[in-house]
Amino acid sequence: MASNKKYWRSVEELKSDSPVVEQLMQKEFEEEIPTDAFLGDKESLSNSSTSRRDFLKYVGFSTAAASLAACQGPVVKSIPYVVKPDNIIPGVANYYASTMADGTDFANILVKVREGRPIKIEPNKMAGNWGATPARVQASVLSLYDNNRLRGPLAGGKTTSWSALDNKVAATLNQLKEKNEKIVILTGTTASPSSDKVIADFAKAYGNVEHVNYDALSECAALSAFDAMYGMRALPNYKFENADVIVSVGADFLGDWQGGQYNAAYAKGRAPKKGKMSRHIQFESNLSLTGANADKRLPLKPSEQVYALINLYNAVTGSSLTSKKTAADAAVKQAAKQLKKAGKNAVVVTGIQNKDAQILANAINVALGSVVFDATSPRFVKAGNNKQVKALLKEMNAGKVGALFIYNANPSYTLADAKSFNTALKKVKLSVAFTMSQDETALNTQFVATTPHYLESWGDTNFQAGQYGLMQPTIKPLFNTRQFEGSLLTWMDSNADYHQYIKDNWKGSILNGSTWNSALHDGIFTHDVKVKLSNTKLDVQASATALLKATKSAAFELKLYSKTSLGDGKQANNPWLQELPDPITRTTWDNYLTMSIADAKALDINNWNVSNGALNGDKVTVKVNNTVLKDVPVLIQPGQAKGSVGLALGYGRAAGMQDEMMTGLNAFALSFDFNTAQTVSIEKTSGTHEFACVQLQHTIMGRDEIIKETTLNDFINKPKEAWNETPEFSLNHQEVPAERVDLWEKFDDTIGPHFNLSIDLATCTGCATCIVACHAENNVPVVGKHEIRVSRDMHWLRIDRYYTSDMTNEKAKEEGVFGTGEMFNSMTHPQENPQVAFQPVMCQHCNHAPCETVCPVAATSHSRQGQNHMAYNRCIGTRYCANNCPYRVRRFNWFKYANNSEFDFNMNNDLSKMVLNPDVVVRSRGVMEKCSMCIQKTQLSILTAKKEGRPVSDDEFETACSSACPTGAMVFGDVNDKKSEVAELTKDERTFHLLAEIGTKPNVMYHLKVRNTKES
Amino acid sequence: MKSVKKHSLANKIIYLSLAFLLFLSFSISAQSGDYDKGKQLYNANCAACHKLDKKLIGPALANVADRRSKEWLHSWIKDNNALRASGDADAKALFEEFNGMPMMQFPQFSTQDIDDILTYTSGKPKEGTQKANVAKVDPMVVAGKKLFQANCAACHKLDKKLIGPALANVADRRSKEWLHAWITDNNALRASGDADAKALFEEFNGMPMMPFPQFSAADIDNILAYTSAGDTKKVTAVAAKDDNLAKPKASTAWMSILISLVLLGLIIWIFVKSNNGFLKIVATIFLLFGAAYIGFGALFQVGIDTGYQPIQPIQFSHKIHAGDNKINCQYCHSSAKNSKTSGIPTLNVCMNCHKNISDYNGPVTSDKDKAFYDGEIQKIYDAIGWDKDNVKYIEGYKQKPVKWVRIHNLADFAYFNHSQHVTVAGLACQKCHGPVQTMEEVRQYSKLTMGWCLDCHKKTEVNMKNNGYYKNIHAQLSKKYGVEKVTVAQMGGQECGKCHY
Repeated sequence: MASNKKYWRSVEELKSDSPVVEQLMQKEFEEEIPTDAFLGDKESLSNSSTSRRDFLKYVGFSTAAASLAACQGPVVKSIPYVVKPDNIIPGVANYYASTMADGTDFANILVKVREGRPIKIEPNKMAGNWGATPARVQASVLSLYDNNRLRGPLAGGKTTSWSALDNKVAATLNQLKEKNEKIVILTGTTASPSSDKVIADFAKAYGNVEHVNYDALSECAALSAFDAMYGMRALPNYKFENADVIVSVGADFLGDWQGGQYNAAYAKGRAPKKGKMSRHIQFESNLSLTGANADKRLPLKPSEQVYALINLYNAVTGSSLTSKKTAADAAVKQAAKQLKKAGKNAVVVTGIQNKDAQILANAINVALGSVVFDATSPRFVKAGNNKQVKALLKEMNAGKVGALFIYNANPSYTLADAKSFNTALKKVKLSVAFTMSQDETALNTQFVATTPHYLESWGDTNFQAGQYGLMQPTIKPLFNTRQFEGSLLTWMDSNADYHQYIKDNWKGSILNGSTWNSALHDGIFTHDVKVKLSNTKLDVQASATALLKATKSAAFELKLYSKTSLGDGKQANNPWLQELPDPITRTTWDNYLTMSIADAKALDINNWNVSNGALNGDKVTVKVNNTVLKDVPVLIQPGQAKGSVGLALGYGRAAGMQDEMMTGLNAFALSFDFNTAQTVSIEKTSGTHEFACVQLQHTIMGRDEIIKETTLNDFINKPKEAWNETPEFSLNHQEVPAERVDLWEKFDDTIGPHFNLSIDLATCTGCATCIVACHAENNVPVVGKHEIRVSRDMHWLRIDRYYTSDMTNEKAKEEGVFGTGEMFNSMTHPQENPQVAFQPVMCQHCNHAPCETVCPVAATSHSRQGQNHMAYNRCIGTRYCANNCPYRVRRFNWFKYANNSEFDFNMNNDLSKMVLNPDVVVRSRGVMEKCSMCIQKTQLSILTAKKEGRPVSDDEFETACSSACPTGAMVFGDVNDKKSEVAELTKDERTFHLLAEIGTKPNVMYHLKVRNTKES
Repeated sequence: MKSVKKHSLANKIIYLSLAFLLFLSFSISAQSGDYDKGKQLYNANCAACHKLDKKLIGPALANVADRRSKEWLHSWIKDNNALRASGDADAKALFEEFNGMPMMQFPQFSTQDIDDILTYTSGKPKEGTQKANVAKVDPMVVAGKKLFQANCAACHKLDKKLIGPALANVADRRSKEWLHAWITDNNALRASGDADAKALFEEFNGMPMMPFPQFSAADIDNILAYTSAGDTKKVTAVAAKDDNLAKPKASTAWMSILISLVLLGLIIWIFVKSNNGFLKIVATIFLLFGAAYIGFGALFQVGIDTGYQPIQPIQFSHKIHAGDNKINCQYCHSSAKNSKTSGIPTLNVCMNCHKNISDYNGPVTSDKDKAFYDGEIQKIYDAIGWDKDNVKYIEGYKQKPVKWVRIHNLADFAYFNHSQHVTVAGLACQKCHGPVQTMEEVRQYSKLTMGWCLDCHKKTEVNMKNNGYYKNIHAQLSKKYGVEKVTVAQMGGQECGKCHY
């Protein structure tokens, strides 16, 4: 029986004369259907003479025409060499050892070259720690093919020839020489003995020449401190592999601190071996990658870090230098106790940009007798001298500088008062920028002597005492360029070719009897050197006093930092790096002010997710001294020290850049006095900023089957089941390990290789190297900010970052909120100072893959080698597989990302396309793609063995990620080879599979993270 | 009944036409073998693997018809796999003898074709068909030619300057004694102060000629006889072989056209003349299925470029190079053994031979004469910058790469590696590329479809002998499948990701 009850949807309906009701009754949908988007505006549509029938005719005709046209195959041309170079076999890659040293990143590398084109950077495993290839080094191969590179030299902003430029420059130089006017060569750190020698020769030829080093990410304080103590402007080397206790006060040593490249050494102590692992305590303001890896992390504002450092010195040495109290004093005392207990195996590092702070840290290390702190093999990867740069500015303003050559530096962008630099530059008679693109500095100089990319250049390096490297060209210069050293040699009227110059220099003073060819082959040359150091007695008291005096504290303190992706902005025009998610914030294409949860609440600043999951945030105005940065977006960062904010450098580049890459704001404008710590005032403004995050800023709500971790104590003292529980299922009314319950028939995979990838979460630092390596190897497209915002990122490999929440089931029960909304709500939100865990996730290559069973066209299928195959040409794009994948690792090509001006990144111009790997197909629109476990690499290893007629060995197998991983956290290999490393790892007690209880039996395994929470 | 009567009439027509066709095909096969046609067919199809007098990839075929029965040979040549599968002992033994390398199948051969080939292998040409045209040649010239080619041809040509001077009729220009002395030891002759010898030495920029003390006086006379006589021009009548080759194909095409015409006529007749409803329904169904079959088949042909034979910038003849001159495929396509691509030879490889060979002296046809071929060789010189008159590279020449048209276009999403097939599997190039050595211009021989790949992967047994890689794998696989031989598919050669990534 029908009820005569009346239902209504809103009170409005009860009003009989309401226009709203009438309107709604007429319309099926409450909102306008957005037909305009595809049918143009309404007016023109209704005025159109095209009737529906005509429209259908057109559709019919064009469909028929298109299908007829498709029957004719295109004519493809094949153009062989006229004379083939001897060492090139088309289709076979050559590897050359080289070195990257662009003033920010320093690494000994191997370059994979196909048909004369470098396409991938690989680590040079002979070179130890320097052989690692961090994200920016991996990405540098794309910068070679940067479409915004200059094609030739410029004079006054106009294209010129080298001879014209040489004539003009030489004429001016000779005039200057006659008048004995000063010529200044301003360079970023080259760490190159031959480059230094060329500059010295140039100085001899022209007399009044000064060489000034300038680093945008300056370590001047540490250099000066080392100089004061040991009489040499260099950086100490830290052997973190020997450390039992590491205390860092604001040093992001897994990032760009002191030239970087400490990941490998640090990670050696991070996996428990025989019940021992290092203990890492971090005092810092911004949540850095290093802080995220620490066992104990204390958020402290930059000024408080200074006091904490002095307090630490006092506690370790028992002195009583004047200091101030901080909130972390108890932790400082605790840290000091542990430092003293560890004795020579302890180390203190600091990132405070103050010479006296660096002296204090060094003094603690000396007092501890630290073997980690190694002054005898110093590093030369930073040479910037801020005092000299300041003096140079003064001289330029006074008109005392006749000529200024700027190489490997971009002062018009990286100096806080770039404006006054540009004005001063006008007073210099001859200014030449040596740069690859028309950057900010090049816009302000008279001449641009365009330089080649390092992959087109000869060079040499000396990263560390006794550690030499060679840089060799791996491609013929793409453009009309000349190396900086080559230009100097030309202007000295020397006929020497820089290649020959290096060779002679090495034969004369470096090789020491060894051959040039073997050094060039290896890319490195090492020999033991004893560095002569003077030992100066230090007045720590004076240092501490000076340090206190120099430290200003304020309600808000700003700490500028460099991101894993962009660093100092040299490679800002590199789309791989722009799209590389920040390991901590998981945000791409942006820099932003990071602010603590408490401060954001106090200032009424919010971050919120809009309906499609994308993150929006409020904006603020930031003021340092009298400089104002407007509309700075704020990202609320758990773990940020209260009263501090962070802002990444390297963004806001505006010259020599493609429009799409001009993202963020230039934070260098706030780095007054070369200092990364500033006092700041913040004011909320109107407006909303749209972030492009690849992950929500939330926790995993206690679902510990996703990411497992334990403490060192439990790991040693408790049975495996207590900290790495094996999931169990009921089978025949008995609980058995989930492994044994199976819906499927077992697939025989015992013959031939069976691949497994092992990832150790204890040694994974989250450095993002693997992401870029995967990008480069597998032709992964860049999708741009908007697509990232709508969750369409294409990374085959992501590094999930998880925060902890202080709400747990136990705590909820105590508080009586168990199971309530309140509990779940606070569970999703990270605590003020959360612990952080990283987890690289790619296709898990399940032996029982859920994706395979749902594909209607069998486009994804299983192989006996353990790899889950994806046949792109078979895929029809139903996306069932992605929906059925429990790991969310499948990526759908929503658009055609290649040859599409809407995605004007590295696949849309002929130059940048040269970076593509010819062995991996570029996927088209409408197909699913995912990690293939680098099947092109495993197949190549197998084929090589077949051709050579020998069994294939486990150590020939590598994936791009495992090969690039600087810490060795990723191990790839054949588990059917029972002697292989990866087969051993399957038996490890820490091994677990992601979501093991669903029975997918992945071929990727994880090793749970262990935190050393021991306080004594 | 009326309808039954009509029905039987239709049947009769069908039977009649089929019988007619059957008769036709028999009548064709009733002809006896033609030696010349056989030779052409043999050279086009068999010569890649067989010789008459010698074992090559397959056995020697001279008088094979005496050793095997005619029926056996027919079925073997048409489909040797089927014959083997039928359990024929001879076929199996032959297969084993040649290490399990299967012979190509020739279903396209008509019975007549096979008879022709067998006639040729028996070497019994029908009287009057052999166009013997052996000119009488002086034995001195013959011996001289042999010596000249072995010893002199590297630096001399008869008609042209190469590294040394042109030698045609050199005996008319110099005295016999002088020539003898010069050839035996030109250094001694120069040292003796002979003015002519010195002048010659200067003319060639002081490049000394090799001395030939090993030549007897008779040898030198023979060589001189040859230089005077020159090459006898071969009067080679290359018959319009293309027509002959096309014939067997045309005959089958003609038959199928005939069948379709008859059937179509029948259907039209049914629609027009007949008023039998049942027959019309049957005809309609037949028509629909036929249309669907042809339509579907046509769609499947989209993107299959078998027979694709584009016009190349240089009309390079594989027949001349790989066929007549028997240059190994991998001499030019040298990366096939190392790389995924076989590699189009670069011009420096061409120049290895064409530094010396600047004009064509092989057989010619009406549309491709010597001037045509010389012009094609000249294209190499134009591209690389070779001055053939002065026999040296032109300095500072702007080289022009040759823009070949790619024939075998595998889609980007399919990964194919030549070295896997050439080096590891040891396949002959002809397996996929067909009888390239007979192609004047290369065309795509195979379909290059996935089905074509997989058919071979399913059938082909992996040659695991003497390859350390397979040692353990073979032991395990043969245990798993209980067989000694393992196919590519059983090795995993059918998995998608092996070729698609």
